[in-house]
Amino acid sequence: MRWPFRTSATPGDDEIRREIADHLELEAEDVARCGAGGNAEAAAAARRRFGNATFVAEDVRAVWRPTWIEQLAQDLRHGVRSLRRSPAYAVTATITLAFGIGASTAVFSLGDHVLDRPFPQLPEDELVWIVQRSPHECPTCDNASPAAFTALEERATTLSAVGAAQLWRASLNGHGDAPSDLVNGYRVTPNLFALAAAPFALGKGFPRDAGTPGRDGVVILSYDYWHGRFNGSRGVLDSTIMLDGAPRRVVGVLAKGLAFPEAVDVYTPLVLTAADANNHSSRYLDIFGHLAAGASVPQAQREAARISLQMASESPKSDAGWVLVPRPLNAFHNDDTVTLVRIFAVAVALVLLAACVSAANLSLARTSARRREMALRAALGGRRGRLARHLLTEALLVSLAGSALGVGFAAWGIHAASGIIPPAMARYSPGLAFVRVDGRALAFTLALCITVTLLFALAPVLRATRVPLSAVLAGGGRGSAGDLHGTRLRAVLVVVEVSVAIIVLSAAALLTRSARNMVNGDPGVRLDRVLTMQVSLPRGTSDSSARDFVSRLDAGFRSVPGVLAAGVVSTTPLSNNWWGTIFSVPGRPPRPNGSPLTANDQRITADYFRAMGIRILSGRGITAGDRADTTAQRVAVINHYMASHVWPNADPLGRTITIDSVPWTIVGVVADVHHGGLDEPLRNEIYRAAAQAPSTAMDLDVWTAGDPGAMRESVRLAVASVDPRAAVGDMMTMREMQARHISPFWLIADVVNTFAIIVVLIAVVGLYGVIAYGVAQRRRELAVRMALGASRRDIVSYVAGGAVRLTTVGVAIGAGGALAFARLLEAVLYGVPAGDPATLAMVAALLVTASVAAALIPCWRAARVHPAQSLSE
Amino acid sequence: MPSSRDQLELLQGTLDMLILKTLLFGPAHGHGIARHIQQTTREVLVVEHGSLYPALHRLERNGWIASRWQTPPGRARELKFYRLTAAGRRQLRTQESRWDALVRAIGRVMQPAPEV
Repeated sequence: MRWPFRTSATPGDDEIRREIADHLELEAEDVARCGAGGNAEAAAAARRRFGNATFVAEDVRAVWRPTWIEQLAQDLRHGVRSLRRSPAYAVTATITLAFGIGASTAVFSLGDHVLDRPFPQLPEDELVWIVQRSPHECPTCDNASPAAFTALEERATTLSAVGAAQLWRASLNGHGDAPSDLVNGYRVTPNLFALAAAPFALGKGFPRDAGTPGRDGVVILSYDYWHGRFNGSRGVLDSTIMLDGAPRRVVGVLAKGLAFPEAVDVYTPLVLTAADANNHSSRYLDIFGHLAAGASVPQAQREAARISLQMASESPKSDAGWVLVPRPLNAFHNDDTVTLVRIFAVAVALVLLAACVSAANLSLARTSARRREMALRAALGGRRGRLARHLLTEALLVSLAGSALGVGFAAWGIHAASGIIPPAMARYSPGLAFVRVDGRALAFTLALCITVTLLFALAPVLRATRVPLSAVLAGGGRGSAGDLHGTRLRAVLVVVEVSVAIIVLSAAALLTRSARNMVNGDPGVRLDRVLTMQVSLPRGTSDSSARDFVSRLDAGFRSVPGVLAAGVVSTTPLSNNWWGTIFSVPGRPPRPNGSPLTANDQRITADYFRAMGIRILSGRGITAGDRADTTAQRVAVINHYMASHVWPNADPLGRTITIDSVPWTIVGVVADVHHGGLDEPLRNEIYRAAAQAPSTAMDLDVWTAGDPGAMRESVRLAVASVDPRAAVGDMMTMREMQARHISPFWLIADVVNTFAIIVVLIAVVGLYGVIAYGVAQRRRELAVRMALGASRRDIVSYVAGGAVRLTTVGVAIGAGGALAFARLLEAVLYGVPAGDPATLAMVAALLVTASVAAALIPCWRAARVHPAQSLSE
Repeated sequence: MPSSRDQLELLQGTLDMLILKTLLFGPAHGHGIARHIQQTTREVLVVEHGSLYPALHRLERNGWIASRWQTPPGRARELKFYRLTAAGRRQLRTQESRWDALVRAIGRVMQPAPEV
């Protein structure tokens, strides 16, 4: 039976080969029949006439090759197979890329949220934060006067709505068995949440008229406070709570995670009376505005500048020189966070650079190692495009695996970061809870890493496939010109890796030393066995009641068992709070620049210095005898810093200073306390008797005989027994306070340390790769050297010397970068000079040691080169 | 055999037409087609034999020719034979008419008819 002619069925490889072979055979027969010599010559002639049979077969296959998808699948299969044959390369390259992509995406996503989008739940682009500044008097002020608020509200056309907020501290009175609670709150104009389009978890914003006196008995809770204090009960809505002794109806609970303007517990209406609205001179409001449709921030700024000029001409005494500046909402966060993010950004850019360089290096290494294979395949008829595609597919596979892993790293890193960001920082980065892997960052890093991998895979591919077969095969894999070039390029890349490593490593070392210094450093106050808390009396408490409370507290704590000393102070050191006061020295002209003298205003009880271990340097401390009655002298104790700065050449004892037109006599000088932490400069400090300068808000610091943490309840009870209306909050030990203060510094140190480990590993792996490859390539050379009498020692020092040379060049180049990075770190360094030579030397020594370690295995291999064997290979 | 100077390169795309035309006379194997083209053109046209095969397979994939392995008389083994399909005939007609048009057009440029 005759098979029918078939159409369009893909022929197999065998079929194609057979068809071609048949043709050659028939042609040879023809040639032979014409009598042109022997069979062998005839066959050769046939082959000549036919052309390259391998190419033809490949072209025929190409005709039938179905579609690019199948081709791709084939390439992928091939790539996976060949990667599985060299798992070391696949794993190293994948992990390197994953680190680079993961770290940079995570840090960018975090940084973007902290810097650009602190309030992801609000229409941030439409909102502005308006500061009032004076280039001369207060160039960095953030707050504005109520008069400025009124002026903006009445005159600004670029703003569709203007709202204001004022931070305050209140006590939430106990209900049932629950004790009084000290809460942080914002007083906000009733329209603020509406203008910010703030979402609510429960209820809604304030009624329109909540800003008028008598109608302000309402309160909004933050989500966290609602959960903490009211267990998230929906029944809290419309219930009444007592804040500072006044009843307030709960009208709403803000949505989860929304911390606008900052993370606080409660929000109450801000009541601005007509008198307030006319207040030009005290600037205490945070003002927010909603841009009118079509208005831009620069337009709002121009208009605000015009309004400022009008205000200045209307009331020159208070407003001349002051300018209202609407700023994007993302300006509403503190500078420390910006510095942190900037440091992270530089560190992570370096990690990304190291990862890319390393990926390039690995790509190069892989192609160099496969030059023989490539040359052979090219000679056997492999088309250049096809070979290049194989290698590219391989590189692409590695890139994709690295990218996938990197995305995982990024997601995990962001998750971990929101867990370890200290609360003190999180307060200024309310958007933190909403950080997700940023698409743009991911796209950028992916594109960068993949491009680099492919580029460096491709360049040598083109060269490798162009290298003549004879050169590669005859050279036994040894240095042809192109190969040498590849080795040199790899050496350059390794030098870059080492330079990056030293930059990041030295930054990590500086930050770690600085953080350690801060833990071990002496801030000038007792840190062990001290319990600290905030205490607040209800609003409206008279001066005499406050005075009475403080003296009874002082007396009461002397008899609490386990308490060695307890003192009241306005703000506890390291608490990140301080009260500024302006003072003057009678008979002394104002300073040339016109700025007043300021000091930290501390109102204390007699035992405060003893409780906190603050030494009295001269004169006396505050005593119980410093009373409020008219016969008693108004006295003040100052710190050493103030004594030596205000009276550089004289004894301050017995001199007077004036605060609010009242003279205070200096009776003592005490040792300096780093109130703002060791990282902050010293400031003037004035200690006065709480009896003579009473206040309703204070801190209480208790020095205990045993573990201060165990004293929480008895201390709380002791305060309640003095006055049950006194609210206690933020109770923690001084060590906890210190840890809270230092945690951001540890955070940077930890992150940069992690980065340092990554880049050092990358550098060591890169170095190992280059040295090992060099040894493999130069087996013959080493063998010749050994045959000519070089000892193993010589060989080892020859190979290790190469590693040390590369590292030294890298260290030398990186040192400059390290110094530049250190300058950026200066802002957060304590007790370590930014350009610390000891740190740099230590880090350099570490890297050189690591590089020698990386060279060990190749050295060992080099030493085992057998001259006779290698030369006869 | 003419010297290589007298040989002509095949015009782009004409190989397909030559193959189809050759197969008009009956099924043939690749070598037979090559030999036929060479003999009919008196070896003026150079066809690198190798280039014939991708072209054959391309035509087959397009459905213009069909193939089968068969043993020709006087041979012990099977060879791969190609024959024209109906679609191939139509394709050949289209190509031929296009070719004629092309030749006429070029001819008019090269040897213009005398003006009247």
